[in-house]
Amino acid sequence: MRLALAIASLVVLAVHGVVFRNQFFHEWERHQTAYIEQARSFAKSDRERAELDARSPRIEQIIVTSFGDTHVDRCTTCHLAADDPRFGNHAEPLKTHPYSEALGDVERNGQWERRHKFADFGCTVCHDGEGRGLDTFYAHGQDEFWPDPLMGYVTQANWRKDFSPHLLGKEYMEAKCAQCHTEEGFAGTPHVNRGRKLFYAMNCYGCHKIDGMSEGTLGPDLTEAGKKFKVDYLWESIVEPRANLDTSFMPNFHLPQDDVEALVIFLKSRRGVNFAETSLDRYKAHVANVAVVIPPGTAGEKAGEQLLGDRACTACHKLGDKDGGIAPDLSYEGLIRDEQWLNDHFANPRSRVPDSIMPAFRFPTEDFQKLMAYLESLKTPPPSARDARTTFANLCARCHGEKGDGNGKVAWYIDPSPRDFTKQGFMASKPRARFIASIQEGVGGTSMPPWKRILKDEQIAGVLDYVMQDFAKEPFKQLRPRNLPETNPVPSSPESIARGEQLFVAKRCIGCHGRKADGKGASSLDILPHPRNFRNHWFVESVADKRLFESIEYGVQGTAMPSWIDTLSTNEVGDVINFIRSLQTTRK
Amino acid sequence: MTPTKKPSGALTTLRELPQNVWNSIFRNPLPSTDLERSSTSFTNFFLHIHPVKVNKNTLRPAYTLGLGLMATFLFVILVVTGVLLMFYYVPSTTQAYDRMLDLRGTVAFGIFLRNMHRWSAHGMVAIVFLHMCRVFFTGAYKKPREFNWVLGVFLLLVTLFLSFTGYLLPWDQLAFWAITVGTSIAGYAPIVGQQIKFVLLGDTTVGQEALLRFYVLHVAVLPAVLVLLMAIHFWRIRKDGGLSRPEKVAAPAPDAGVVKLKKIYGLQGFVRGPFTKLGNVPDDSVYSWPNLLMAEIFVFVLTISVILVVSLLFNAPLEQPVNVMHPPNPAKAPWYFLGLQEMVSYSAFWGGIGIPGMMAALLLLVPYIDRSTHGVGKWFAKERLLANTIFLTLVILNVIFIVIGTFFRGPNWSLVWPF
Repeated sequence: MRLALAIASLVVLAVHGVVFRNQFFHEWERHQTAYIEQARSFAKSDRERAELDARSPRIEQIIVTSFGDTHVDRCTTCHLAADDPRFGNHAEPLKTHPYSEALGDVERNGQWERRHKFADFGCTVCHDGEGRGLDTFYAHGQDEFWPDPLMGYVTQANWRKDFSPHLLGKEYMEAKCAQCHTEEGFAGTPHVNRGRKLFYAMNCYGCHKIDGMSEGTLGPDLTEAGKKFKVDYLWESIVEPRANLDTSFMPNFHLPQDDVEALVIFLKSRRGVNFAETSLDRYKAHVANVAVVIPPGTAGEKAGEQLLGDRACTACHKLGDKDGGIAPDLSYEGLIRDEQWLNDHFANPRSRVPDSIMPAFRFPTEDFQKLMAYLESLKTPPPSARDARTTFANLCARCHGEKGDGNGKVAWYIDPSPRDFTKQGFMASKPRARFIASIQEGVGGTSMPPWKRILKDEQIAGVLDYVMQDFAKEPFKQLRPRNLPETNPVPSSPESIARGEQLFVAKRCIGCHGRKADGKGASSLDILPHPRNFRNHWFVESVADKRLFESIEYGVQGTAMPSWIDTLSTNEVGDVINFIRSLQTTRK
Repeated sequence: MTPTKKPSGALTTLRELPQNVWNSIFRNPLPSTDLERSSTSFTNFFLHIHPVKVNKNTLRPAYTLGLGLMATFLFVILVVTGVLLMFYYVPSTTQAYDRMLDLRGTVAFGIFLRNMHRWSAHGMVAIVFLHMCRVFFTGAYKKPREFNWVLGVFLLLVTLFLSFTGYLLPWDQLAFWAITVGTSIAGYAPIVGQQIKFVLLGDTTVGQEALLRFYVLHVAVLPAVLVLLMAIHFWRIRKDGGLSRPEKVAAPAPDAGVVKLKKIYGLQGFVRGPFTKLGNVPDDSVYSWPNLLMAEIFVFVLTISVILVVSLLFNAPLEQPVNVMHPPNPAKAPWYFLGLQEMVSYSAFWGGIGIPGMMAALLLLVPYIDRSTHGVGKWFAKERLLANTIFLTLVILNVIFIVIGTFFRGPNWSLVWPF
């Protein structure tokens, strides 16, 4: 035991030794000693040398009071030569901070004078980083928990390796310049300005709110995005919108890299408050609750067409050769949608397609009228193709996919999902008349438009044959007649609806269709096509009782909907249907 | 008096001064006889907490594992480092985090003090819990030590609460959300839950009031309560006849009934109590000085060296400053409450209040339910198979829940594989 005791005591001693060594030999002391030695060799007078000799290493700090909450910057403890012009050619940390006319520094008689004096600004106001830190790792914000690492110079270890290289570069510091220089065209912050333009040009403002700039509500509020998120998160959110949240419906705009960078820098400059405004300014803005004014669009003869460009509809939609690759084709909108539909769509895109991801833009009414007039004028049908294959490729493949698997370019953003024609079970179990009707009249409450004004009956038949042969690979079979009531035998009554709701919950319909019957049940995300949204009244009202009976009793082949014929009696199905019908509020 | 003696008298006084000062402080010389060993224990302020002689069983490392001493020494380390940290800390939402940064970067030994305090606190929670397990598995809570067990359970609860209140003080995301989760669990208590939460936080959410309250609880109220309970706990060890030990199988003395008090040492007459068998001492006991003292020093040095090494190797966590709008996913309570949080994820009431409440009640009542006097002083005694099995099951369940909550829970509290 005495030996153990001796060993333990030695451990205690040794640890004390290490701790004391760490305490009394700092990295920054070495830098200071080096600075003093170097400065001594630069010294011109004995007095200067004597002053330097008398100096011993100490913590230097700047207390910054004018920019936000009072804070302490100890950066000059190591970067001791930041303001000493004699150290211009030295290595960091003993290097003079560059002088630059772009920063407003002025040279007089060979002497530079700084515009942004370190004694007033400190360092972190422009550079970020942890001002209180005294060792490189923490001071530069390399610690993964530090919210603001040295902007443009430091990436944190836990950041994605493929993004980190993009996140370096002094242009990132513009996000800090914009804390004071808020003018829209400020020459010192080209990336911020470009990002701000992109925020409008790519219609980011339609979904996202930034105080004083936009009022979108579909996406997260970005007013304080720069304070809440680090640059790697912002970058990731733009290039891979679903990296963090599987349910995000933010489109991937496939922006070029320098656009992404400009947007990231712009967003990083959004910190809720900036140093340029006083608390009184903020209070006034708060009291006035200033509505965001979207400037009125182009006037004149071709106003509609120009507006479509100004408002960047093609950031998502396709029109002619411009294609955002996210939303449906508008090239012959006049033939597939009527004025009433467009009117509803502009007022609120979800009034016609309840699960649409398109935001409701708050343009002036005249703008909408001009846009509508223009879209209504797009009545040139696509060049009539002889063979069905080309017709399909031109009109259908954007949503249904070139292989007919329902996985077209824009399919991910469309809810309800485009039909997958390769699902033989589905294609073989539905009568031909239903497919014809869907193509001719469109499907209510979905993005499937009516094609009857573009395609002749024989073209429609041709396309359907092509789909059946090439994708479904299943010849039409004579369907065995199913025993289904033509109309719901159970009259709708509060009791029936209540029973239906009970069954809807008890039989686990809610697992997929959701407690609100909005198709967003717990497992809905994993299911394609997504479960039906029964609050989509355009769809539900377009479907007859008989079809609802068939889908519930026999299930829907090729989808996740199972058959309930052994579980539910006809009357019980009737109750469920009454419940579903009761959810439909009258059309607006 | 001859004149020649006068200067020599002053000289002698001067020469003897160190010895006299020493003797005035330490009245006994280093003990070499049994009598001196006894009086050393009696007359020294710091040593008189010891009995003059202790049972050999008490000194068996395999019996106690030194866990009670470790807990005590960790508390001493915590008090010392805590007081030093108090010189820098400000319980203010605007300053607390900056003070943490200063401790990490600027204050001399700041990071090391904080590490020691942090790891000792975690260690103390663990060691106190293990100490309780030791006492249970050796049946040491039985008559006459029932009440000391009850005190011990309260000490465990106060230790948990002390650690919990300290958790908030760094005012980083980890602290803020752990306390938000922890106090929410308290809010699930029936009837008074929300009131308890409100009194604890001084507000409906964690904020400045909560920080101040937790600070005062952490540095003044709870340590005072803990010291008081510890004092009673120690005092009762003596009064309950020292640490538990196996029953003597030897037959009672032939002349039972007439207890022959053989007076050995006058001083020992002060020590009274049901288990002070004066006539029976020499067989199975040894002198506290130096045997007990050496054991204590050994445990102390062991404890502090472990804490020092751990503090040197691992920095106490400091996450980003509090952001009320941006909870981490998942937000986790301190590890010792993660078992509760895991259970809360199944049922808020049963996991947060029902089961832990019943467990605490059960712990408090154990010595009054299990009245058998057999199996004391032995690890996992055969006679106590049922009691030990039940207790072990509960301990393992608790540990499993804590491990699941700590390592196997990811975003949205979904199961994840930690490796």
